[in-house]
Amino acid sequence: MPEIILKNVSKRFGKFVAVDDLSMVIGDGDFVTLLGPSGCGKTTTLRMIAGLETPTEGEILIDGKTVFSSERGVDVSPDKRDVGFLFQNYALWPHMTVEQNISFGLENLKWDKERIRSRVAELLATLKIDQFGKRYPSELSGGQQQRVAIARTLATGPKVLFMDEPLSNLDAKLRTEMRSELKRLHAETDSTFVYVTHDQLEAMTLSTRTCLMKEGVLQQYAPPLEVYHNPANLFVADFVGSPTMNFLEGVGRGVNLDEIKMSVSGLDLLFSPVSGSITLRDDQPIVMGIRPEFVRIGETGKGRARVYAALPSGMETVVKLRSGDQLLTSVVFGSIDYEADGEVGFGFDGEGCVVFDKETGANLAIGKLAII
Amino acid sequence: MTLGNRVRFFFRKPHNVILTILAVSLAFLTLLPLLSLLKDTVVVHPSEIMSVKGSKMGDLTFFHWKKVFSDGETSMNLFYKPLWNTIRVSLWSCLIAIGLGGGVAWLVTRSDMRWKPFVSTVFIFPYIMPSWTLAMAWLNFFRNRLIGGAPGLFTALTGIETADWFAYGAFPIVVVLGLHYAPFAYILIGGILRNMDANLEEAAVILKAGRLKILSRITLPIVMPAVLSTFLLVFSSCMSAFAVPAFLGTPVRFQVLTTQLYRTLNGLNPGYGYIMALVMIVIGTGILMINQWIIGKRKSFTTVTGKSSNISFARLKAMRAPISIALVAFVSLIAILPLVTFAIESFIMAPGDYSLKNLTLQFWVGKGSEDIGGGEPGILLNKYIYLGLWNSVKLSVVVAFVAGTVGALTGYAVVKARGTKLASLVNNLAFFPYLMPSMAFAAIYLSMFAKRNLFIPSLYGSFALLVLVGAVKYLPFASRAGMNAMLQLSNEIEEAGLIVGIPWWKRMTRIIFPIQKSSFLSGYLLPFISCMRELALFVLLIVPANRVLTTMLFQYNEKGWNQYANAINLLIVLIVLVFNTVINKATGASIDKGIGG
Repeated sequence: MPEIILKNVSKRFGKFVAVDDLSMVIGDGDFVTLLGPSGCGKTTTLRMIAGLETPTEGEILIDGKTVFSSERGVDVSPDKRDVGFLFQNYALWPHMTVEQNISFGLENLKWDKERIRSRVAELLATLKIDQFGKRYPSELSGGQQQRVAIARTLATGPKVLFMDEPLSNLDAKLRTEMRSELKRLHAETDSTFVYVTHDQLEAMTLSTRTCLMKEGVLQQYAPPLEVYHNPANLFVADFVGSPTMNFLEGVGRGVNLDEIKMSVSGLDLLFSPVSGSITLRDDQPIVMGIRPEFVRIGETGKGRARVYAALPSGMETVVKLRSGDQLLTSVVFGSIDYEADGEVGFGFDGEGCVVFDKETGANLAIGKLAII
Repeated sequence: MTLGNRVRFFFRKPHNVILTILAVSLAFLTLLPLLSLLKDTVVVHPSEIMSVKGSKMGDLTFFHWKKVFSDGETSMNLFYKPLWNTIRVSLWSCLIAIGLGGGVAWLVTRSDMRWKPFVSTVFIFPYIMPSWTLAMAWLNFFRNRLIGGAPGLFTALTGIETADWFAYGAFPIVVVLGLHYAPFAYILIGGILRNMDANLEEAAVILKAGRLKILSRITLPIVMPAVLSTFLLVFSSCMSAFAVPAFLGTPVRFQVLTTQLYRTLNGLNPGYGYIMALVMIVIGTGILMINQWIIGKRKSFTTVTGKSSNISFARLKAMRAPISIALVAFVSLIAILPLVTFAIESFIMAPGDYSLKNLTLQFWVGKGSEDIGGGEPGILLNKYIYLGLWNSVKLSVVVAFVAGTVGALTGYAVVKARGTKLASLVNNLAFFPYLMPSMAFAAIYLSMFAKRNLFIPSLYGSFALLVLVGAVKYLPFASRAGMNAMLQLSNEIEEAGLIVGIPWWKRMTRIIFPIQKSSFLSGYLLPFISCMRELALFVLLIVPANRVLTTMLFQYNEKGWNQYANAINLLIVLIVLVFNTVINKATGASIDKGIGG
């Protein structure tokens, strides 16, 4: 059963380090997203696993077989790794019809003609592109080209599928539609998916595990909800989630054994961790991270703030509050139109606020936050 | 809307004004000559009164048509054999150019070969240098006793007498033309390979296609339309080449259409020449039509290529060092060695004797002496050389300025009005001169402007005629460059200026031109270089007062004053290379940008 293991993989282009000492295990049947801003090394990582790029150092195993090892001098070519690859711009061959594009891989496997024909017909039907079989790629819309590319990748039935930002060239509506199709595909084909994206929403909604990278270095590798609720560091917390997390910077002091007191622009806050404990140095600079859904607006709240702007979108309303010189983002269910500059009360809910060390950015503790 | 208003609105857009002016003037400068040429094939010219019995000048006659096409042995020697030679030579040259240029293009863009910067710079040299440079170098090396005088370097060094077929005629012409146009193919094919998404090949690798299969089923079919159109462009360039067959073919009476054209137009039967010119234009136009048909097919790939983000080079492995070294050596051989032979030949007193005591500065700085070269002084003391040099530079600068500017405007207007009938008409008219063989083009202009024509006075022998013919002939290069520049520029850039009320003239000079400076300047550079090294276009139109370096070189060569010819050639090549390098370094303009690689 295919399991992909990366051991200390690095890739350097001249002096530039694209991927730095990356180790991870992609389990069988996983849907793993490689997530990060552009230039973080996610595409390079994917291409190295597929064999399109040669790592500078490290070892890669697919299904128990070493496909690359810098030490032992192993470098299995991409066609022998038994993988599928879906390219960002589809890479459909412009001189072949849709059918020829799909059947090309099967011909290489020396399937007989009858079998190829029925397999192509089956794929065309699955992906709802049966009427385009005889057309050339340039005669199809972006969404149709995308489906052809998927059909071509699936044709040979690879157990591992690599996708490099496959949805980034589609418009918003099609993208949402194709997202559910891809998730469905993952369930039906029972293959391992590795998926590159810079869209955190895509990563959140699609994957079973998310690998977040920054400047070639792995930041966190965990299920998406864990990444969301328990981000390993400031970068992860900031990158994942929309609207983004609120960050309050200040100096913390330990009080009552386990609790922390900090004051930020007129607000006195008390943090109590939900699990484990936390100790700070004296006057250690910290950053308090609060997800927008934990900022509750209501007259019972101890904090006072003015409405900076309200952005109702139907199902929910994003409200920006100004308290002192701090801007706070809050999300309220339903559409409520707050008047600009009106005064409201607010408080903090839930047990998911995060304390980060300002210097290293590391996650120190998760817990409850209260205004005192 | 009234018609008056429609016309007013139409002309309020600057690009429509430009298109209209261009359509009218280009029709006058390219279509009218064609009609004039047609007429010239059926009238009796002054020198033909004797051969066309009982005729007066200007009489209508089908004498020329009959002689050229259906007069047994005469037609055979006059037309059919040279035509066959032309086709044969062009085809083989094309194959060499495409094979070599395409191969180097693949190595430079797709493999991990070493020393790419050196190869890609120096490999272009043979195209920048005059086409006969290699022909003269060939003669310097391999000439034998057939044409009298001393044998070349090869024989002097090895003692082996070269065979006639090796020294002159079809074989060396094919090799030299092939080498000359290989950089052209390299630029075009390299451009395609660079733009072709590497993902297309990688997708096939993932689907378990072997190397050979990828090449034959994916890479080649995708670049094939472009390679074919490169093939056709190179073919029509080879077909209209004059200097190379003139240098290498004449000693063994190997005639092609262009050399026949020169003989008949300069001799007693210009009518024959005009018919041959027409044939060449018909072939050229046919080639263009085939080309457009290929490009217009639905499989055309241009619409689907994405950005080529991740190019992984093919690993040459064990062959890396040998291939790299061989290519560097080869490139040096065809680009640098010829210059060395010119230098050597120009310092030699008695041809064929390469010993040290036979070296002389006579042909560079010697005073004229009766027994050497008809008493001409060395070229650095020869005031006629300086006159020719001045004429060459003056002509090239003026032609480059006119062609480059008109080309930039053409590019601007055609791209702005993309899709309209007027735009495609102007586009085609601007490209048409490319299809006219230089020699034929010059011949028509000669016949059209030799006497008063409409409001234009007789231009025969004038500098203006040279400028006119040069500017029109090189307009295709310039307008291509202009179009490339404009296509890369989004329309909003100009509209942002329009909206705040910047007048058109300022938008052009302060916004559009500066942004695409290097692309537009490439449109000036190409005509300049082409003009500096042009022979076929000017050889019929030059009079002693306005002769240029290239025609002087041709004359020295015809007289057999080898050393002068070599010295002048070296001079031309150096000027062109220096100009090209300086402009390239200073502005970023380059030949490949102009051609659209």
